[in-house]
Amino acid sequence: MVAGPNGAHIAPSLSCVEILTAIFAYMTESYGLFVLSKGHAGLALYAAMKEFGIISAADFDTFETNGGEFPGQPSKNLAKHIEYSSGSLGMGLSYACGRALALKQRSLNGKVFVLLGDGETNEGSVWESAMFAGFNHLKNLIAVVDFNGMQGDGFSKDILTFDQAGMWRSCGWHVQECDGHDSAVISRCLTEQTDEPLVILARTVKGKGVSFMENVREWHHGRLTQNQYQTALSELEVGNGN
Amino acid sequence: MTNVEKYTQAFVDAFSIDAETAMTLKFQQIPAWDSVGHMGLVAQIEEQFGIMMEPDDIVDLNSFDKGKEMLGAKYGVDFAS
Amino acid sequence: MEINPITIRTLSMLGQRGVFGLAFMDVAETDRNIIALSADLCNTSGLDRFRTKYPDRFFNVGIAEQNMVGVAAGLAAAGYVPFATTFANFAALRSCEQVRHFLGYMKENVKLVGFGAGFSFGMFGTTHYALEDVAVLRAINNLVILNPADGLEVLKATHAAAKINAPVYIRLSGVMNNPIIYKSDYVFEIGKAITLREGMDVSIITTGSMVDLALKAAALLEADGVSAEVVNMHTIKPLDVYAVEKACAKKLIVTVEEHSRIGGLGSAVAEVLTSNTRRPIQIILGTGDEYLHAGDFQHMLESHGLTALQIAKKISNTYKEVVK
Repeated sequence: MVAGPNGAHIAPSLSCVEILTAIFAYMTESYGLFVLSKGHAGLALYAAMKEFGIISAADFDTFETNGGEFPGQPSKNLAKHIEYSSGSLGMGLSYACGRALALKQRSLNGKVFVLLGDGETNEGSVWESAMFAGFNHLKNLIAVVDFNGMQGDGFSKDILTFDQAGMWRSCGWHVQECDGHDSAVISRCLTEQTDEPLVILARTVKGKGVSFMENVREWHHGRLTQNQYQTALSELEVGNGN
Repeated sequence: MTNVEKYTQAFVDAFSIDAETAMTLKFQQIPAWDSVGHMGLVAQIEEQFGIMMEPDDIVDLNSFDKGKEMLGAKYGVDFAS
Repeated sequence: MEINPITIRTLSMLGQRGVFGLAFMDVAETDRNIIALSADLCNTSGLDRFRTKYPDRFFNVGIAEQNMVGVAAGLAAAGYVPFATTFANFAALRSCEQVRHFLGYMKENVKLVGFGAGFSFGMFGTTHYALEDVAVLRAINNLVILNPADGLEVLKATHAAAKINAPVYIRLSGVMNNPIIYKSDYVFEIGKAITLREGMDVSIITTGSMVDLALKAAALLEADGVSAEVVNMHTIKPLDVYAVEKACAKKLIVTVEEHSRIGGLGSAVAEVLTSNTRRPIQIILGTGDEYLHAGDFQHMLESHGLTALQIAKKISNTYKEVVK
């Protein structure tokens, strides 16, 4: 499908594969709910859901078909276990706060995971939610920032950066930083017990695993030729030790 | 009912209290007499005496005694009989 | 809450904001899933009693309207029935995309309550007037829009909104001593307009605070020999299309709203009329093209030609042209 006519947000999806793996692995053991705030990683979400048996391969293959249930930016579909409609950046965290608050109200166990992009944290609405979560000690809320240092127009360092860790901390969050491509490390971070909401700043590479995509702006959303597809596939297989 | 009884009844009906409590009551002295409860009280008083109170008077009515004074002075209610 | 002349008078004195506080308590007492959110406006939203009695069911998100709507959506997705409250202009515009996203697109069962629509906030000025909220929110799919005419209707609308499993925007207007439209209990149904006054020549379709003024205008018109019916379109969306089509039997249709002439009730009615072959002309009365200097509620209505006398005059003049 990434070689299909509409292309896909390939690079942004590649940067969060391990993050999603860790989160979905957690959710096989304990109750959790996942919110994809970084909507353009829909492809990665569907891949993870397929790997973990939440959606079928047949469903996965309908990615971005006209009128299909699996558009590039996921649409709420409870029958397919997709809780949140993604795509408009900056709003997922506030929804996640509401879900976390509901669990807390009912004294229920379970965590709410939300994946954001670092570019996404440019949005002011993210910080309204961050303040709220910190102030209300939503310790069942875990945000992961896919920190690939890039956004739509290129490198974040050329566009808008700020002290991410400091911002989250000042909102009352517990901050962890780690290698975003090491699922084991991420998994360990996810199980940390805190009294505050937890944010994991996962250092990642946009387009990770495909040499011609890594840190290349143009692959934010692109379409592979057959050759590129074959090259990418073989590089990723090597990366996986196949 | 005498006018005093009618006036006291307005407080009793508005706040579900007894007559004795009503007679020394002041605004915000009990939870029921907050700004919302106040409107309910005014409506009861108006109903008892067939009057419509002026907005300024509604605001000034902050105790049982004050209200009695006001009704006597401005709304022609004779509490002596 | 018992409906009798005393409670109706009480609701009128309180004004729509105060009534909402009472109505919300009424509704919330019977269903623990009903909760309230405020963007730091609890004290001016009539919700202090609720907050005092049920502190664990009230959330102040701070001055953060966008977050409020998102949090409400999350709570709704988890089975709560959240009422997210703030001033109408901010509810509709500051958190507009969140309303579109969470209520329109995701269809979460959130009830958005906008206080002080139109010119309720008087001297606070233009930043606090809500004159475009209906225009903007009307275009969002799946959103029910209610604009109650008086205190009792606020009570009814709040109950109806809580009951329906759909996102709702309730637009509250007017000031304290909100004129009484309904002197006794009546049946309120979302989407069903109520004809408050019969008339043969003109149909005045109106909503919210303008209902009282439309009734007064109709009385003035009668003295002038013009018979006007007054239809309370308390539900702006879904519009009672049948009521609009019935109005086509009159020689003139007039819509009156405390809202811009652009995009609100008038436009909603025009959208229905435009494909009807047999229909009279319609004039749209609402606020004008300029944001005027602040004044109290009455002053602002007059500045925009929305007093009973001004409305009656406009209708009378147009009617005379129509029947020439």
